[in-house]
Amino acid sequence: MPDGVEKQSDAEAFEALLSPILDAAFGMAFRLTRNRDEAEDLIQDAAVQAFHGFHTFETGTNFKAWFFRILINIFRKRCVRRKRAPECTALDDAPDLYLFVQASQAGIEAPNSNPAAIVLSRMSEAMIAEAIAALPEEYQVVAVLYFMDDLRYEEIAEILMCPIGTVRSRLHRGRKLLQKALWQIAEEHNVVGGLKK
Amino acid sequence: MDRVDRYTCEQVFQRLDDYVDRELTEREMELIREHLAICEWCASTYRFQNGMLQELKTKLRRVPSVAPDLMSRIHRALEKAQAETPAQEGDAG
Repeated sequence: MPDGVEKQSDAEAFEALLSPILDAAFGMAFRLTRNRDEAEDLIQDAAVQAFHGFHTFETGTNFKAWFFRILINIFRKRCVRRKRAPECTALDDAPDLYLFVQASQAGIEAPNSNPAAIVLSRMSEAMIAEAIAALPEEYQVVAVLYFMDDLRYEEIAEILMCPIGTVRSRLHRGRKLLQKALWQIAEEHNVVGGLKK
Repeated sequence: MDRVDRYTCEQVFQRLDDYVDRELTEREMELIREHLAICEWCASTYRFQNGMLQELKTKLRRVPSVAPDLMSRIHRALEKAQAETPAQEGDAG
């Protein structure tokens, strides 16, 4: 088969697999970069790189996991190059139920007895994305995969090419760190001050 | 016989994240459900964890729509990449 014909069919096959996952890929890219242009640029780069390596993709296996892995690797390389994001503030280990405890101690009144829920409900999407971006990179990526898609631990492990136990421990610690980051950002944006009685 | 027939509060707390994510065995899920039904402290902790995660998921999933022309831009980028490939192969060969 002439090269041109074979490559054309490869491109069609690749785009047929990419198209149904484009929304999910864009959602993840947007939450990682927090910027539409950067997210679109990230997806385009991932698509070109994935297409170049398409011969290594095994038909019948998980294309989404394979593509997300490429996208995340490019994101990580960009972070290193720009020495960016870990925008992470110093997030030491947080105790369990950090947000709940802090909100309770701050004297936030909650008719449903969950002051943390009141704080979260007053936080915008941008503030929550800011908190995710404040996490160290290994927690940030796993948190975005977890929150943006209903992926099981096994699928996240497949994307990140790490053991399930690593995903589990990063998610557990990441959730605690995220509560601390959320609280810091809620205070910075005066969400907490506005709720105190 | 080492079959566990109930969990302590500490055992429930250690498994709460996995319970929320349904990443436990059916037996473990059942033991936690039974405990939450009789322990108000653990039940309120579960409600907090689950509520927080659902709120975060809901908000984080509100992202702008994909640009209508993104797929066609990708298509053009792939065409360009394809056009460049034969030259590289020729160079190599």
